[in-house]
Amino acid sequence: MNPFSYTRATDPQQATQATATNASAKFLAGGTNLIDLMKMGVERPTQLVDVNRLSLAQIEELPNGCGVRIGALARNSDVAQHPLIVQRYPVLSQALLAGASPQLRNLATTGGNLLQRTRCYYFYDPAFPQCNKRNPGSGCGALNGFNRIHAILGQSEQCIATNPSDMNVALAALDAVVQVQSAKGTRSIPIADFHRLPGDTPNVDTNLQADELITAVDLPAIPFATRSHYLKVRDRASYAFALVSVAVALDVQNGRINAARVALGGVAHKAWRAQKAEAALVGKTAGEKAFRAAAETELAAAKGYKHNSFKIELAKRAMVRALSTVAQMT
Amino acid sequence: MAETVNILGPARNRVDGRLKVTGAAKYSVEFQVPNCAYGWTVESNVAKGKILSIDTKSAQAAPGVLAIVTHLNAPKPKEPAAKKHRGQTDGIRNEERVPFSDDEIHYAGQYVALVVAKTIEQARYAASLVKVSYAPEEPLLTMNAAKSSATKPKGSFGPVQIKKGDVDLPLKGTSLTKIEQIYTTPTETHNPIEMSGTIAAWDRDDKLTLYDATQFVKGVQSVIARAWNLPIENVRVICPFVGGAFGCKGAVWPHVFAAAMGAKAAGVPVKMHVTRRNMFVGTGHRTPTTQTIALAATRDGKLRAMRHVSHIATSPVGDHVESCGARSTGMMYESPAIQVEETLHKINVASTTFMRAPGECPGTYALECAMDELAYALKMDPVQLRLTNYADNHPVKNVPFSAKHLKECYQVGAEKFGWAKRNPQPRSMRDGDLLGGWGMATKTYPAHKMEAAAKVMLRADGSATVQCAAHDLGTGAYTALTQIASEQLGVPFEKVKFELGDTDFPFGPVAGGSNTTGTVGTAIHEVAQLLHKALADLAVKDSESPLYNLSSNDIAMIAPGHIGSKIDNKKSDAYIDILRRAGRGSIEVQSELKEPEENKKMAFQSFGADFVEVKIDPLLPRVQVTRVVSVINCGRVVTFKPARNQIIGGINMGIGMALMEATEYDPQTGLPATRNLADYHVVTNADAPVIDVTFVGEPDFAFNPIGCRGIGEIGITGAAAAVASAIYHATGKRVRDLPITPDKLMDIA
Ligand SMILES: Cc1cc2nc3c(=O)[nH]c(=O)nc-3n(C[C@H](O)[C@H](O)[C@H](O)COP(=O)(O)OP(=O)(O)OC[C@H]3O[C@@H](n4cnc5c(N)ncnc54)[C@H](O)[C@@H]3O)c2cc1C
Repeated sequence: MNPFSYTRATDPQQATQATATNASAKFLAGGTNLIDLMKMGVERPTQLVDVNRLSLAQIEELPNGCGVRIGALARNSDVAQHPLIVQRYPVLSQALLAGASPQLRNLATTGGNLLQRTRCYYFYDPAFPQCNKRNPGSGCGALNGFNRIHAILGQSEQCIATNPSDMNVALAALDAVVQVQSAKGTRSIPIADFHRLPGDTPNVDTNLQADELITAVDLPAIPFATRSHYLKVRDRASYAFALVSVAVALDVQNGRINAARVALGGVAHKAWRAQKAEAALVGKTAGEKAFRAAAETELAAAKGYKHNSFKIELAKRAMVRALSTVAQMT
Repeated sequence: MAETVNILGPARNRVDGRLKVTGAAKYSVEFQVPNCAYGWTVESNVAKGKILSIDTKSAQAAPGVLAIVTHLNAPKPKEPAAKKHRGQTDGIRNEERVPFSDDEIHYAGQYVALVVAKTIEQARYAASLVKVSYAPEEPLLTMNAAKSSATKPKGSFGPVQIKKGDVDLPLKGTSLTKIEQIYTTPTETHNPIEMSGTIAAWDRDDKLTLYDATQFVKGVQSVIARAWNLPIENVRVICPFVGGAFGCKGAVWPHVFAAAMGAKAAGVPVKMHVTRRNMFVGTGHRTPTTQTIALAATRDGKLRAMRHVSHIATSPVGDHVESCGARSTGMMYESPAIQVEETLHKINVASTTFMRAPGECPGTYALECAMDELAYALKMDPVQLRLTNYADNHPVKNVPFSAKHLKECYQVGAEKFGWAKRNPQPRSMRDGDLLGGWGMATKTYPAHKMEAAAKVMLRADGSATVQCAAHDLGTGAYTALTQIASEQLGVPFEKVKFELGDTDFPFGPVAGGSNTTGTVGTAIHEVAQLLHKALADLAVKDSESPLYNLSSNDIAMIAPGHIGSKIDNKKSDAYIDILRRAGRGSIEVQSELKEPEENKKMAFQSFGADFVEVKIDPLLPRVQVTRVVSVINCGRVVTFKPARNQIIGGINMGIGMALMEATEYDPQTGLPATRNLADYHVVTNADAPVIDVTFVGEPDFAFNPIGCRGIGEIGITGAAAAVASAIYHATGKRVRDLPITPDKLMDIA
């Protein structure tokens, strides 16, 4: 672990002042990912700005029925149990509860979860010489390595890592908006633009600037999100990252699909909003045939590697199952 | 149930339970030693080659650094524990090479430098500044790649290669029903909660104290004393608690040498934590195996030939031999022809070692899967096939088993499970949209006897302290040995204190081979006889004793707390009265260490049977084990609760082996890829089914005076085969390559 200094921020201005003046400062929230990566020597901030004392843990309704705001420091456990989330966005509650363990969820924050980094072995352990994300230009160790947990959609030759978050998949389906603040001011980033595909710069995970503090995540009002569901397929019954996962919300009227929200996890460098599938579903009669067709459409471009090709079919089946589950909800 | 009760001892709560749940139980690296510094290793990230140079300049200048040990400056032990000293009492090495002894790299993850600093963070940071350059060579990373240099090892606690009768003729013939299949298991790594670790503290140059997380304090003492050419009593090893081990703490691994070297170089005590990450390279793992089994049987299911050919591996500096065939096919069923072959491959991957039921575990997985396949080929019930080939005698040694109650295990297990309702047709037992399957397998583990001695101090207040350098790996040994001491000494359970885990105590064996309870129990039995004799010697000379002037040879314990005449049962005396009248505050006796007698006229082996139910969603095919019934015969069960724990833990570990455990390696660098608890999956509570454990049989007094054959390892044997067979029954697909993860079942929909 590299030497670093520690600052405890008492308000967002103070926090963002620190990152404005030190480019290699990092915010410390639950620490469940950052500290791990610092011990491994992957993250090497010279300063930790502890944001745990900021009053950003609220979960509240936005005015005028515009949805719900989740503070960046709201813990994953608290979000998952909150009545507003359980009732209006069950997909998010389920996604959070499918992640990690109770102990981790008690520490993990909304902001930290958004920014958790990939679990690619080649990234996580600097003993591996190759990783373009950790060490740009060194190559991708996973491409010809052990790549069972890696991407099948949207990857590049530079990087086939996946985003490991369950929460992000639900947020992608719900069109969440990330609120950020820096010394320069505030801005809003739609979730679809928040995380990036790897392209030639896999070292850049998101479009957030290093000095920007996430203050909240807003969930727009989506009445049919009450009929939503998160399905996670993994190697054991709990406490494992997703092989593939699916977040679904459906608006079905008289058996016909009016609107669909579908996002996939475990398949790409970011939570994968399945827009092609959504387009294919609208106007169709809810049922296995339409679901399978939509899944086929979405995964037509998928590409597998030595150990992860099974994910292509698994993702399709998971989509069909999750869609069927929601379609059968009353 | 009635006939099974007599083998069960009382269901004691753990004597150390309170210490553990309150955090008061002190594990090795938790000891506080004044002036202690911390060690952190630098590991090779190439799998084979030579170290060209090590640049320690900036590390040396980093804050807090006290010493950096490399092959260029290591205070080398004089004699790295030569092989000829090997024996049950001399300690165990599964890696021949002492760390930092030369510039050779044998596997990725090998320790190439040790940084000692004042704090663990300083040591870790400085270690990251050490720059090592290598001349890499092409490594051999798989058994296949190392084929040309493979050897046929001779022995490893008994023969490894076996040939009885002629297997070739029946296996080639056309009149018999035959199956031949290849089963593979991946590298599996021990993941006890407590990681390995050592504190080394030198007193001047010739006395060393080690607080070491070990299954064998006396073994560590012996290996380290010989390595540094010290009188054995100059090395003390202390380990009162072990937080799980499963075999990875049986041998002396490089970090133990490293801690002693670092302490010598830095001139202060050194604490070394083996990180979870380094548990995957530095303390052994179970070898990957490729096992080919061929079976030939008559139409009515009688085995005519069994062949079990195994390929196993270790590192170029390792010597562990995982005896898969001999410990399963070599003893399980009646067959006129049995052939077992084992081939050892030296690959550039870290050294292998014992892992819970080494040999028996992978061996029974392959054999019991093959038996299930044969049952289907014969259209015979899997239990019936086992009964048809039931061996009353050890099929190779040709002597009777001392007490084998396996038929009872099958019968009780089948009844409790409801096996009679099984429709053998694959995919026939659905539960709504889920596929359901039932499988079973035989379990087995031999009874091992080792050497031990014990010391007892009985006090005038009626309490006793018993000491032996034994170990409690979290298994409940403290509780079981307290129970045995209470019974054998005749002192109430609450008044016995059992102390272990210290080389200052009389010799205790490695906590391996499921031998602790039986071996140390036997030593307690012996020391109890000595105690009763010593009390008798006092009583017969005491005119106030009812036993006055009797021959002490005619006196024995007749009731708890009392010795009395074997001839006249009215004459007895209480321990506390004898001591009081003799004016003695206490009395102390110690038993002798002697090689155990081997009874060659019998085979001593425990058996059991697992019955397993699985449910599988055919479209999203993660296997869930929903129910297990396990019936075990292991002689006497000294205390029921920890014993049941051991079986439950073993079966869960077997479920992990069947469904998820695998250390995966990067095919390019040879570094382990899955080397933390997020990536290396062991079963969680949500994966663990309800496991119904029953013990049958009777105490095996032919084996030892306690009547127990040990219980730590049998639990894992057979379990993976029962799960794999249940998966076949559920799906109609045989997966012969563990673990059976969802990707291998994508085609069952
Ligand atoms: C063993 C294990 C298993 C896990 N399993 C799962 C799983 O199954 N599914 C899953 O989804 N996750 C899983 N996780 C990951 C877990 O969800 C994340 O570690 C957690 O959400 C991170 O949140 P944190 O608050 O601890 O973030 P931290 O570790 O504190 O921070 C993470 C990153 O976010 C930055 N950051 C934090 N807050 C802010 C802010 N307000 N503004 C700007 N930047 C910020 C930090 O600087 C850092 O770069 C697992 C983790 C572990 C250790």
